[in-house]
Amino acid sequence: MTGIRIRAPRSGPGRGGKRSLRDAKVAYALLLPAVALLGIFIIWPAVYAAFLSFQDWSFYSDPEFVGLRNYQNVLADGAFWAAIGRGFVFVLLTVPPMLVLAFLFASLVVSVSRRFADVLKVSIYIPTIISGVITSIVFAIIYNYSGGVLNWVLARFGVEPIAWLGDPAWALLAIAIPAVWLGMGLTSLIMIAAMVDVPQEFYEAAAMEGANWWQKTRFITIPQMKNVLLYLLITGIVAAIQQFELPLVMTGGGPLDSTMLPNLFIFNHFRFDMNAGYSIAAALLLFVVLGTVSAVVFRFVNSEKLVD
Amino acid sequence: MAASPDSRTSPGRLVGALAKGLVGLVFIAAALFPLAWLVIAGFKSKTEVVASPFQFFPEVWLWSNYVEILTDPTFLRTLAWTLFGAILFTLLSLTVNSLAAYVFARLEFPLKRALWVVVITTLFVPGMTILLTSFIVVTKLSMLDTLAVLVIPGAATAGSIFFIRQYYLSIPASLEEAAMLDGCGRIRIFAYLFLPLSKPPFVVMGIAAFLAYWNAYVWPILTITSPEQFVLQQYLATFRSERGTEMGMLMAGSALAAAPVILLFLMFQRQIIGNIKMAGLK
Repeated sequence: MTGIRIRAPRSGPGRGGKRSLRDAKVAYALLLPAVALLGIFIIWPAVYAAFLSFQDWSFYSDPEFVGLRNYQNVLADGAFWAAIGRGFVFVLLTVPPMLVLAFLFASLVVSVSRRFADVLKVSIYIPTIISGVITSIVFAIIYNYSGGVLNWVLARFGVEPIAWLGDPAWALLAIAIPAVWLGMGLTSLIMIAAMVDVPQEFYEAAAMEGANWWQKTRFITIPQMKNVLLYLLITGIVAAIQQFELPLVMTGGGPLDSTMLPNLFIFNHFRFDMNAGYSIAAALLLFVVLGTVSAVVFRFVNSEKLVD
Repeated sequence: MAASPDSRTSPGRLVGALAKGLVGLVFIAAALFPLAWLVIAGFKSKTEVVASPFQFFPEVWLWSNYVEILTDPTFLRTLAWTLFGAILFTLLSLTVNSLAAYVFARLEFPLKRALWVVVITTLFVPGMTILLTSFIVVTKLSMLDTLAVLVIPGAATAGSIFFIRQYYLSIPASLEEAAMLDGCGRIRIFAYLFLPLSKPPFVVMGIAAFLAYWNAYVWPILTITSPEQFVLQQYLATFRSERGTEMGMLMAGSALAAAPVILLFLMFQRQIIGNIKMAGLK
């Protein structure tokens, strides 16, 4: 990724000026499609969203300026905070297990033969390319109360059948599992790439001192991978709080709102609430929450002295 | 890799290797089981998929679900329509993004830095905040319920521009200097020099675009309302809610919908997995 920026060769000041003028025209012409698309479909909607968040507006009327009222309404809405809280529970259900599993997986991959490592990497990555809809369909079958494979396996161990998607106590966990399944591939492969980069000399020195696997992991691997682990922790949290395709298809947020994650809450408001300003204010507030959490995690982990 | 040179053949070592193999197999099984389950369930009869008492394998392996869904004109049309859209989207996305990548990698012009900052900023706009306003934009542009609403809005992405630009920055300048002395213009240099060298980033970003289109669900359910315009994921979700009793067929259809992207991934797994290193930041 080391690129050198190259300037166009110039044969004289006069011609150089002409050349760069022509370059500028070509540059704008070639950039036009990308910049126009980004402008129309991302930048303008973002600006417009910020504007609408201060308006009382439904599709068929003129927007009316209401100042911070939408934000106040969202902040005063218990359902919004409940969704945010549920988002954090969902983070706890998905991110730590995924990071631990991916770490173990990566440790395994770097210690086996090249061939087996390739098979492992390809297998773990396949779920990543499966759509949320198909994942929801297959997991709903696996979770089926009377005829699902999960309850059948549990019955072998004497566990009573569980209504995974129908019981508010279990539904969020039931959605966390496919979320981990979908997210493991990328997390694992990034961890493997980082683990391979830890200098071998460290391990050799530790082996001479008689260090065991756990000591090597605790004092060499984890500190050396700190930046990547921090990156995966923050992107994992951000992705988990924003998850909503799985609950949208599997449960629609139910039962009893037990899987109403923040983005699903906002999405449902988009579809069914007359005042668009409210939903947009909620989306922007979620963005603020995410930014704050990321900053706090970053500060907290970075302040810990993992590297002596 | 972390293989220590000592005592390779000792019994402890052998047990370790066996344990590793076993743990590896558990990971493989966990990753692939749901997909295998989808395929198996596709062979079950209508009532058997979630039948009680539970049966792991079908009583009789029925091909009928696969045959039925593959001869269902709606499924076939949706499949073809989604494939067509995905190819169009991929081509458009690669064209638009590689042109921008080339300009940012090689050309100098006023406002270059400012434009680059604007492009990169779009990476940080969360989808949910602009979902409603993007919907308003496409409504105003009368794009609702057309192929255009699926293909055009997401074609340009900063991530893809950034990725391809990184690659272009690593192409040595000497090649194009020679071409320029011969009087080649910028556009010719892009077409005859850069494009032929672009296969590696095009494979990775092209597959990413294809997958994004193939797996899209939320945007289509907002913007596409007439069933003859439905995309695959929309079709499957509708099938699930409206024809929920025909489980075997739903399973077979889902398995068939997942198959093309799995094949695509297996064909290019080396390039895709190799490029994930680039995501690791140091």
